[in-house]
Amino acid sequence: MTYRTGPDRDRCPEDVDLGRVWLTVAAEVWRRRPGLVERLAALALRSPGLARALVTTSSLLPGWLMASAIVLAVGMFATLGTGTPYVALFAPAVAAAGIAYAYGPGVDPAWELSQSMAVSDRMVLLVRVLVVFALNAVLGLAASAASGTAAAVTFGWLVPMTAVSALALAAATVTRSANAGVAVGLAAWVITVLSVYSGSGHVATAVVSSTLILPYLAAAVAGGTIAWFATRIPKGTS
Amino acid sequence: MNVDISEVTRRFGRAQAVAGVSLETGPGVFGLLGPNGAGKTTLLRMLATVIPPSSGQVRLLGRDPGGHGPRREIRRRLGYLPQNLGYYPGFTVAEFVEYFALLKEMPPRQVPQAVATAIERVDLGGRARAKLRTLSGGMLRRAGIAQAIVNEPELLLLDEPTAGLDPEQRVAFRALLRDLAERATVIVSTHLVEDVGAACSQVGVMDAGKIVFQGTPDELIACGEGTSAVGDAPLERGYSAVLVSARTAALVA
Repeated sequence: MTYRTGPDRDRCPEDVDLGRVWLTVAAEVWRRRPGLVERLAALALRSPGLARALVTTSSLLPGWLMASAIVLAVGMFATLGTGTPYVALFAPAVAAAGIAYAYGPGVDPAWELSQSMAVSDRMVLLVRVLVVFALNAVLGLAASAASGTAAAVTFGWLVPMTAVSALALAAATVTRSANAGVAVGLAAWVITVLSVYSGSGHVATAVVSSTLILPYLAAAVAGGTIAWFATRIPKGTS
Repeated sequence: MNVDISEVTRRFGRAQAVAGVSLETGPGVFGLLGPNGAGKTTLLRMLATVIPPSSGQVRLLGRDPGGHGPRREIRRRLGYLPQNLGYYPGFTVAEFVEYFALLKEMPPRQVPQAVATAIERVDLGGRARAKLRTLSGGMLRRAGIAQAIVNEPELLLLDEPTAGLDPEQRVAFRALLRDLAERATVIVSTHLVEDVGAACSQVGVMDAGKIVFQGTPDELIACGEGTSAVGDAPLERGYSAVLVSARTAALVA
């Protein structure tokens, strides 16, 4: 290699496109290095776009996760103190709120733009909902295990959680309002718990009664179907 | 033709936002002028495949966006800047543009170079690593334009792209439009008549959900000649004359 000296030292060779060189440097400097979660999600989903969409979910942000963990931790201590399985009662409501705040106008700032993207907004919604649900299920299971609640109760609340989350999602997508989704999900759950309580005299019956599993599953299927229908792109008249 | 729509309508409940629009356009810049509520944004949203038409035929880039596969293919080749650009305040400019490049399913290996190119084209290189929440309105608009052009779109839809840009930026933006239009169809909705005169090869004027004029900027200017139409520039007088004529015809009908 020879070094140039003298007046020509700083001159660029004529066959070098400095603009292109700069863009290559800028591309390397500006590119975002995905975190571990995003890299794993990109592998699992086989879509870097979906993985990036996932990490922008409002209800997956640290504030949301901390709030969910705190609610379930309070439920755990209340369960230990009173013997009533409050974790099982709180978990469906927490998941419903998280799912309603997973996607939609007013929640996702770039919602309008996202609707014109090749990665369909329905896929983004589905992936976010699944992850929020799974995270809340893990948090709830951890709280239940720590409180020593019986396995039947622990797994009992997963079914109502699915139903309440599906209802919240259906309401949020139909009304295009996350707050409406939360309101419907919470109202449905409170009404269920109180109505079952008034009949049985036990507050935990809503999550331990096996006779309620079928109605919960039916509500989950209905809610999921409504959400699926509400997020389609219709062909005909509005 | 990159855009080929026929008798397209769009209703929101009882309100008819677009009332039978037909349009054919190939590469070049097509300016869409019109007063507030004329239906420009609704028409652009339909062309961006965000909302479907209530009736009529739409073909974009030779495909029918009614089917899932063709719609996905159109969206890969589409650039869209909505009137109200939503953004993630914690993202940097580069992260924001990269996010949409990924959602447009660009090959991941091409994304960094494409992002850098798009950011430089809108002259935001000095702020590429700045958080969006720290940018001015004009800079945010340019970040929005960068995401729209990152995939070198064949169809570029821009809703009020020059809102918030200073005069120097607007001049640079018009040059960018002309450059993009050598390969792509660019449809620009704007209130600013001078943008149309400087950058557009074709212009359409919308009023009450219909295109009431379609032609070249010179033909629009000619519409205002010899009339008492208001306006400070020939193009403005042509625009005013077209609107007055369309509204008079609607009243008579």
